[in-house]
Amino acid sequence: MGTYIVQRLVWLPIILLIISFITFALGRFGPGDPVEILMGQYADEQVVERVREQRGLNDNIFVQYGRYLNNVAHGDFGESFKYRGRTVSELLRNKMWVSAQLNIAALLLSVSIGIPLGLFAASKQGTSWDIGTVAMTLLGQSIPIFLTAPVLLIVFALKLDILPTHGWGGFFDTRIILPAVAMGVPGIAIITRLTRAATLEVISQDYVRTARAKGLPESIVQRRHILRNALIPVVTMLGFSVAGLFFTSFIVERFFGIPGMGSLFIEAIFARDFPIINAVIIIVTTMFVMINLIVDLIYPLLDPRIRLGGAYAS
Amino acid sequence: MPLTCLNTYKQARYSVFKEQNMGWKSLLLTFGVLILAAACSGSSGNGSSSETSATTTPAGASDSNGQASDSTGTGKPLEGGRLVRLFIDPPTLDPHLTTDATSATIIVEVFGGLVTIDTNLEVVADLAEGWDISGEGRVYTFRIRPDAVFHDGKPVTAEDVRWSLERATNPLTEAPNVDQYLGDIVGVDAKINGDAREISGVRVVDERTIEITIDEAKSFFLAKLTYPTAFVLDQISVEANPKNWFRKPNGTGPFMMTEYKVGETIILSRNENYHLGPPKLAEVEMILSGGTSMLMYENDEIDIAGVGLADLDRLLDPTHSLNGELLKAAPAFSIQYIGMNVNEPPLDDPKVRQALNLAVDKREIATIVLGDQVVPANGILPPGFPGYNPSVSGYDFDPVRAKQLLAESKYGGDLENIPPITITTPGSFGANVSLDMEVVLQMWEKNLGIRTEFQQTEFATFLKDLNKRRFQMFDIGWIADYPDPENFLDILFYSDSSNNHTNYNNPEVDALLEQARVETDETLRFSIYNQVEQIVLDDAPWIPLWYSGERYLLVKPRVQDYLQTPLIIPKLRHVYLTDN
Amino acid sequence: MLRDDAQPETEHYGQASRSYWAISIRRLLRKKIGVGCLAIILLMYGSGILAPLVTPYGYADIDLSSTKQGPSLAHPFGTDQTGRDVLTRVIYGLRTTVIITVVTLVTGSLALGITLGLVAGYFGKIIDSIIMRVGEVSSAFPEIFLVLIIVATIKAPITDWVRGIEDTIGIEIVRLGVVDYLVLSLALAIFSWFGMARLVRGQVLQVREDQYVEAARAIGCSTPRILFRHVLPNVMGPVIVMVSAGLAGVAGSEILLSFLGIGIQPPTPSLGLMIFENGNIAVLRTNPHLLLFPVLTLSLLLFTFNLLGDAVNDAFNPRAR
Repeated sequence: MGTYIVQRLVWLPIILLIISFITFALGRFGPGDPVEILMGQYADEQVVERVREQRGLNDNIFVQYGRYLNNVAHGDFGESFKYRGRTVSELLRNKMWVSAQLNIAALLLSVSIGIPLGLFAASKQGTSWDIGTVAMTLLGQSIPIFLTAPVLLIVFALKLDILPTHGWGGFFDTRIILPAVAMGVPGIAIITRLTRAATLEVISQDYVRTARAKGLPESIVQRRHILRNALIPVVTMLGFSVAGLFFTSFIVERFFGIPGMGSLFIEAIFARDFPIINAVIIIVTTMFVMINLIVDLIYPLLDPRIRLGGAYAS
Repeated sequence: MPLTCLNTYKQARYSVFKEQNMGWKSLLLTFGVLILAAACSGSSGNGSSSETSATTTPAGASDSNGQASDSTGTGKPLEGGRLVRLFIDPPTLDPHLTTDATSATIIVEVFGGLVTIDTNLEVVADLAEGWDISGEGRVYTFRIRPDAVFHDGKPVTAEDVRWSLERATNPLTEAPNVDQYLGDIVGVDAKINGDAREISGVRVVDERTIEITIDEAKSFFLAKLTYPTAFVLDQISVEANPKNWFRKPNGTGPFMMTEYKVGETIILSRNENYHLGPPKLAEVEMILSGGTSMLMYENDEIDIAGVGLADLDRLLDPTHSLNGELLKAAPAFSIQYIGMNVNEPPLDDPKVRQALNLAVDKREIATIVLGDQVVPANGILPPGFPGYNPSVSGYDFDPVRAKQLLAESKYGGDLENIPPITITTPGSFGANVSLDMEVVLQMWEKNLGIRTEFQQTEFATFLKDLNKRRFQMFDIGWIADYPDPENFLDILFYSDSSNNHTNYNNPEVDALLEQARVETDETLRFSIYNQVEQIVLDDAPWIPLWYSGERYLLVKPRVQDYLQTPLIIPKLRHVYLTDN
Repeated sequence: MLRDDAQPETEHYGQASRSYWAISIRRLLRKKIGVGCLAIILLMYGSGILAPLVTPYGYADIDLSSTKQGPSLAHPFGTDQTGRDVLTRVIYGLRTTVIITVVTLVTGSLALGITLGLVAGYFGKIIDSIIMRVGEVSSAFPEIFLVLIIVATIKAPITDWVRGIEDTIGIEIVRLGVVDYLVLSLALAIFSWFGMARLVRGQVLQVREDQYVEAARAIGCSTPRILFRHVLPNVMGPVIVMVSAGLAGVAGSEILLSFLGIGIQPPTPSLGLMIFENGNIAVLRTNPHLLLFPVLTLSLLLFTFNLLGDAVNDAFNPRAR
């Protein structure tokens, strides 16, 4: 187990180096020039060239990359090209936190509805209750946010006038409700299906049959074995969604007026704001790798049959 | 500038089709220079709302029921109060770095320069109380008002003006477009290129007098000084915190920025000492996080909302409850056009270009597809713009004549001989930007038999290819930076201009443009520009489409004297609220 | 479907036999839901592919005299802002969605994902590590950025190349939008393989030690043969579920690319773009048909795919009865 963790951690810096270099190189050689965008329409070739020189963008790419890495190592992601005078850390910090809170709220919603539904469907396996439950959640997953968001807004903000139309006030504020619902509904289907499948598998396992045969009360069987097992899908889901944890889609942000990461990142792409793009990619990748590692470490705690390096770990 | 224009243009278009808020979208679009541009983008954030454009006062949108729309002030005027608007986070609040409409909209309220533009769109004194022009139109001597002070109470001096100009032209400032706005001043070129430490053409005469020498007697120089690049900053506050001074800017404008939460809100408060008369409002709140402007307006969360095409259908119904709050204004000083590269076959033959012009029924597209939110363009200069002359003759829809011209061209009437045409547009940013283009393409196919291919590219790539003149045909817009015809005709059609993306080159036009630059008699100058405009239209490197910008917006009845202007100018100080 | 020409002895051990498939299919067909889903999907794919035959109008037929009409007999789904028939555009949009999703899934998820998953799981060690780490990275990477760069870079050369072919064979290909489909699918495929590879690898790790694989190895079957004939069929159930789930993702990405201006070029309709363009409150309140019909069509497609995925899973997974 120890060596396994070490192995995974050794990969991390290598991965980060490769990714950040690719991103960095794309910034220098890919289509589109940030300086041209920055300096505006009237700027002539000469001026653009001068600014490029001034910012060290004409140096050898490895020199530039080295300089960048050095700064990052000191916690300095540089200054945005587009939002002049603002550091990348400043721009990202608040927005990532907003996105993370919203994502967590949505995840909580999916889980708190999805697990009971999954358990319920599994207990009614094969009946029309089962099929109906799964179908309902699938329907929620199939409707695009372009429809759910406007409908939610029209119903709750405009007609009923019980929730605000836009804005952000943190986790414990009514303004988080509508966006969290819009983002959380599609996730219900995933959690429900995973829970149902995991539960069905456990029910048929020998140790559960044994437990029942031993005459353990049904409630204990459920608590000890089935519920614990149902946590696996939640953990899996967490692993999957974590790459996006610090992101909200710009679509949700647009509809509900949320100052999150999605818009910033898309803007950065349009403006070729590479300091922001690089930083986002480095941060998100690190998070993704780390949290996947943690997820892998949690699995054996939930299910003794899983061993590290085995089927679930990757 | 085109981009800008583009921006604007997009926004306008955007708003035409969506009502949403996508503030950031406008941002994207605004890379260009922008000046006081209109469309603002900023304004509302997205499309939605922007109120920017439009001329001054509301002409009752509700023509339909013949009722003047503006809030007929039944209420009593209130002293103070807070105006709430949906906005978007400005990319910068440093006037010298501004290139976009969003930033400019806030900056003009917080900062000021020697001169500004008033609500009649004329250049008037701001920090200067007056100026003399001598040396055959090349030397401007400005006298600074004795009561002009920064927000912290410090008087504005000639040294402040000089220092600000030096800062704007310092290569390390990396001010975009500085050569465009200040490049007429003697010595600015040398300063920008690092060959001089100071601008030779700027001289402090005494504490309250500054003398600026320009290279030729360009009468549009004053208009350029209204752009934020020429605004006056407080040296002490900037140097005390070179990176972050604009979080708590010490400007000279009618409003002080008292609160700025990035991505959330900006609060502007009244500057009691403002030399042109303090604002009536106590505060203006700008919501930066976005949202759906129409909903927010209906829920009384904001006071002003732009109206997109989809909502317009509903609101124009006289029985709709909000119909009375709808305002209609003239379009912004911007034009949307299709540019044709005159070196690329088959567009190298003027007859082909003219035929393409004649085969488009702009009026039909404007009224039906764009819901009358744009005004079909006959010429190049927008209506109401200095030098605008309604008698220039553009192209009316005439499919018969179009076909005939095409047959007379060197490619003949045989469509087989005509090389393929591709039109490129910048990425849509989600707006249905291509709708009107699709109609144009269909009209060409129907009326001329020419099939044109459509190509969208992502914005940054589009920009690069445009500057490199790689397009055969492109769809773009232009928005005025300052109110002078030079800003359209010289910049877009002078053969050596970097913004002449069509490769248009007519020695006669070049000679006229050079002559107009130094003509001091305004009537004569404008008539030269009219001549240029007519020649360009006849040569047809463009297909002018329409003058765009947001034409409709909703304003709460309690808000009075909110002006929509085709340029971005300081205007919030005139607004007041009633108890309505 | 795999045809069974296997040697008898392996057939005995492997589940890759015709009987396994036959049983599964039969099980699936016995379920009304499964059959219903299949029918709907076939209908939608069929009308998409045969769009030119089944649509009443041309997708670019602009008619400025009847814009934004609600549903009527002549236009069952109404008309859009330029008077084009929405039903026609929805069906053509369906075709776009069908092509992009299928091509992306086949190249990315199926070909790339399954192969790499099998290889990683079977060989383990360093090969496994490399594949999994690369995959982790590609799924952590905000794909929109890379896709944008890729499309912006490769599209022009590919278009030129196709034009060259056009000149020789004399058929207009570019106008059909083939290039768009190709470029988009390629770009999306790069990001869609990892989920599949990870899943297949996990299954392989379980199966690898099973007796029938050992037996196959003992009798001298080659590695590819073992992988594809013995290991793969065992993981088909989850794979199909994964594919059906992946559809929604691909359809979503297509919307994003359209938003950036590098998606399907107008006037070719795409469901994603239609939804994106009309997905706002104003349209919903004034001309709801512009949003509702494309949304319902796409939702129905995704819904039936998801439902089918479940049904298939039950049918193919011996544990679930």
